Amino acid sequence: MKWLRFLLLAVVVALGVWAWMALHPDPERVIRRRLEGLARAASFEPNQGSLAKLVGAERVANFCSTNVDVNIDVPGHQEHRLAGREEIQQAALALRASARGLTVTFPDVTIQVSADKQSAVADLTLQAQVAGERDMIVQEVKVTLQKIDGQWLLVKLETVRTLR
Amino acid sequence: MTETKSGPSQELRSASWLRILALGRNPKTTLIRAAVLAVVCVVVFKAVLLPVRVQGISMTPTYADGSVHFVNRLAYLWHEPQRGDVVGIRLTPPNGWSAPHIMYFKRIIGLPGETVAFENGRVLVNGLILEEPYQKGPCDWNADAVTLGANEYFVVGDNRSMAKEEHVFGKAERSRIVGKALL
Repeated sequence: MKWLRFLLLAVVVALGVWAWMALHPDPERVIRRRLEGLARAASFEPNQGSLAKLVGAERVANFCSTNVDVNIDVPGHQEHRLAGREEIQQAALALRASARGLTVTFPDVTIQVSADKQSAVADLTLQAQVAGERDMIVQEVKVTLQKIDGQWLLVKLETVRTLR
Repeated sequence: MTETKSGPSQELRSASWLRILALGRNPKTTLIRAAVLAVVCVVVFKAVLLPVRVQGISMTPTYADGSVHFVNRLAYLWHEPQRGDVVGIRLTPPNGWSAPHIMYFKRIIGLPGETVAFENGRVLVNGLILEEPYQKGPCDWNADAVTLGANEYFVVGDNRSMAKEEHVFGKAERSRIVGKALL
């Protein structure tokens, strides 16, 4: 029955590692999941009801800190500067009212977490497809996040010109 | 009058031929070969020759919207990018050897240290007109001269008929050039 003891020990060790990782998640992994959540929240289906639009816009705003600063400048599109969670929510709502649908993904993400693990900078590629439009929007974006009340929130989001 | 016999022995023979055709005479060797081939394919197409699907019209007529090509990541291991090369440029800063999922697909027209300008649709490199046989449509672009740094290349698409404001072009850092377009 020696092998059974070894098996039990292995199971206990595996459970211990899993529990440790669940209780002390790697900040980079948490931020990645957070950004995936933001992309999902920013995306929306066509023909959404008024309530769904409102809830969706609020979900986007919940990823941001109260004093978030957003600067979006995509070539061929109007520049947008937004400050504060309220403005983000209004903008998300306005987008849901004007566009027929939107799919957002962040395919390439590089994250640098600060030494104190309280802030991080993510360089990512934003890929957005507006329903009914032929061309996809592709843009480099820099996101600054801060751990506020145990949650990683966006404090700054700005588009970057890859080719200057 | 001829008669064909289709007894159990013939069925057995055709079944074994099918097996040989599908798995080879030695199934174990075939399995190993298939596994090696799969690993080689994954390594080659994930790390060396990156398949890319062109989206947009900025590289027409050279590369049509929707066409599939490859970016060779080993192209610049032994020499630096050359003028006229079509290259893949990553949007995010390099992160080890990991391959980007999205790239710009542009042509190099300016090399490090050079000055590039657009004047009435013609490209001027260090004040001299650059001959561009790949550029077919009419162009009326004007842009101030830009001097490139030691690790910078000037890249632009071949389709200069489109509005300059809708066309992404400019200086690209060497570290962002992923590789050279193949085919």
